Amino acid sequence: MIAQVVLSLLLGIVLVYAWGEYRRSPIVAALSCAVSLMGFYFIWIPSHATRVAELFGIGRGADLVLYLWVCISLIVLLNLHLKLRTQHELLTALARSIALANATLSAESAQRAGRARAASVKEELPS
Amino acid sequence: MRDQQLTSVWVVCPAYNEAGAIVPVVTGLRRAGYDVVVVDDGSADETRPLATGLATAVVSHPVNLGQGAALKTGIDFALAQGADVIVTFDTDGQHRLSDIPRLLDALVRNQADFALGSRFLSQSRNMPRMRRILLWGATLFTVATTGLHLTDTHNGLRALTRRGAAALRLRQNRMAHASELLAEIARSRLRYVEVPVTIDYTTYSLAKGQRTSDFVMILLDLLARKLYR
Repeated sequence: MIAQVVLSLLLGIVLVYAWGEYRRSPIVAALSCAVSLMGFYFIWIPSHATRVAELFGIGRGADLVLYLWVCISLIVLLNLHLKLRTQHELLTALARSIALANATLSAESAQRAGRARAASVKEELPS
Repeated sequence: MRDQQLTSVWVVCPAYNEAGAIVPVVTGLRRAGYDVVVVDDGSADETRPLATGLATAVVSHPVNLGQGAALKTGIDFALAQGADVIVTFDTDGQHRLSDIPRLLDALVRNQADFALGSRFLSQSRNMPRMRRILLWGATLFTVATTGLHLTDTHNGLRALTRRGAAALRLRQNRMAHASELLAEIARSRLRYVEVPVTIDYTTYSLAKGQRTSDFVMILLDLLARKLYR
């Protein structure tokens, strides 16, 4: 009973985590939810877990629950990878804006840009 | 595009540790009259100082981000400079300067927004057999996922009109950008055309180019990008 409560609490945390991640990555959230709900079901109805485990050739229901935890861990790992990618995209945007702000123009190009700027300022001035 | 004059053509050259090849490439492009922006992608060698004296502009990433990110930076820069057409051109010396006018001509004649170089419509010297097989696989993958009918999907030589370049949303930093760019062309529904170009495989360009394992990473990158917003 204690193990069931503890595991259920942990699965509850995973569900809250999945809910929080839904907006950013719906696929990861859906996978986490599906596996967590399966976990709840098998934890509270262990006889079904054993039956399903036998069906898949795993042997014991407890092992099936353990495998579900491994699945959850892998999904969370995938989510961390995706978060890292999101951070990298932000870093790219930052690096790009720094690079563009510090572009080195050749003398000829700088003159051309200066002329274009002067022309646009002239256009904006009231006649 | 037919009635438009291609008055401003910018060539975007992404460069990462290309000190050994950048000088003849950029010099040739400048002599041919193109504006060239070299995007130094956080090189550790002399790429940046070498390019600074030669290119129209040099944009330097503070850290290495990848070829896709460098191309996007160069395209953004060229658009900000008022480019009518943007050409992407590798700095390892595998592309030929003489192919650029053919790309520009194809844009005008076909009223297209994208002219994509194809080594399989022309000749490519010294292409390793493994590279040929992988590129063939990449082409099948692209046809299946984008519906574009292309013969070469990972060719760095292409020309984009201003409208075409502005329509692209590129987020892949590394080698998967080539596939992403094609997916974006398909999404934009703008016209594209393939143009025969020649790739010269040299020891230098092969050493700098993609490895077989890169193709697996490209697939994983493309898959991962679909899993989040």
